[in-house]
Amino acid sequence: MKTIEEQIWNYIDGNLTIEEKKAIEEKIAANKTYSNLYKELSAVNLHLTKLETDMPSMAFNRKVMDLVDLEIAPVSLKTKVDQRIIYGVASFFILTLSAILIYAVSQTHFSASAIKVPDLNIDFSRYLTPMFIKIFLFTDLILGFIYLDGFLRRKKDIK
Amino acid sequence: MQQQETDLALITAVLNGNTAVYSELVKRHQRFVFTLALRFTKNREDAEEVAQDCFVKAYRALGTFRQTSKFSTWLYSITYTSAMSALRKKRLTTISLDDDEYTVQPVSPSSYSDTDTIEKKSAYVYLNQAIDSLLPDDAAIITLFYKGEQSLEEIGKVLFMEPNTVKVKLHRARVRLKEKLQYLLKDEVKELI
Repeated sequence: MKTIEEQIWNYIDGNLTIEEKKAIEEKIAANKTYSNLYKELSAVNLHLTKLETDMPSMAFNRKVMDLVDLEIAPVSLKTKVDQRIIYGVASFFILTLSAILIYAVSQTHFSASAIKVPDLNIDFSRYLTPMFIKIFLFTDLILGFIYLDGFLRRKKDIK
Repeated sequence: MQQQETDLALITAVLNGNTAVYSELVKRHQRFVFTLALRFTKNREDAEEVAQDCFVKAYRALGTFRQTSKFSTWLYSITYTSAMSALRKKRLTTISLDDDEYTVQPVSPSSYSDTDTIEKKSAYVYLNQAIDSLLPDDAAIITLFYKGEQSLEEIGKVLFMEPNTVKVKLHRARVRLKEKLQYLLKDEVKELI
């Protein structure tokens, strides 16, 4: 149950439905308590709407700009990608995957006896060459540096 | 709406490297940011420091502004967090047993002449004093609602509250404001309201 004051503030703010508004208007017209309170709150509301903001010192803007000049210029972190490129890439993958799936289904013979266990006897020593290991470790090192850089930046931002 | 578009145009210009344009954004919003900061700090020096800090933080984070809300709403939320941090720091450093931070020092009505203009001015002085004597959150809600041109939803975003909570708090703040005015003005309250 809302108090009279709350009802009148809602009426002043325009937060009531048409029926509620009509009901309050009738009460304000007929009931002296409502009428007096409405006058009082309307006056307070009027003064509040006319209040002015305070002005900082004359040098405020210059001080802010002096501080801003010491900062790194901001850049937009939001990358704007053309929607058509996204749809193009998506349709390429959907078409490729669909074609592979259709081909695979068309080549499959659905009989239990036809199932063969694939040969997984792969000779890894052919692929794990010293060059491959060096490239792998170098990539790991680069990724480690990128992560460290991101971590230190985040830490600096928090400070 | 025009103001909103211009704010966004200025932000785009800053992000494209024309950082001097930020001065225009500061000029446009400095009064309100300062007023909001003043509601928390209660003194001009601290409020100016908070407002400066807020504009610098906003500049640093300008690239992350998603432009899904008004720039002013985003800026006021930074002001709110900056002011709250400043207030917390201040409370930690200056706790006093007879702290009269929120007590009201009434201005003697006799210090004003009887002319209409002065009467109006004194009414605003009383109102400002009454707002200053409210709790920081209440004063901020009143300020954002009446001076910041912010809807209840937008105030909710600024203060990290639900719009319904803001509505309830706004109502309570106005009730308290009326009580403060009655206390400040006693018999004169009828003349003001």
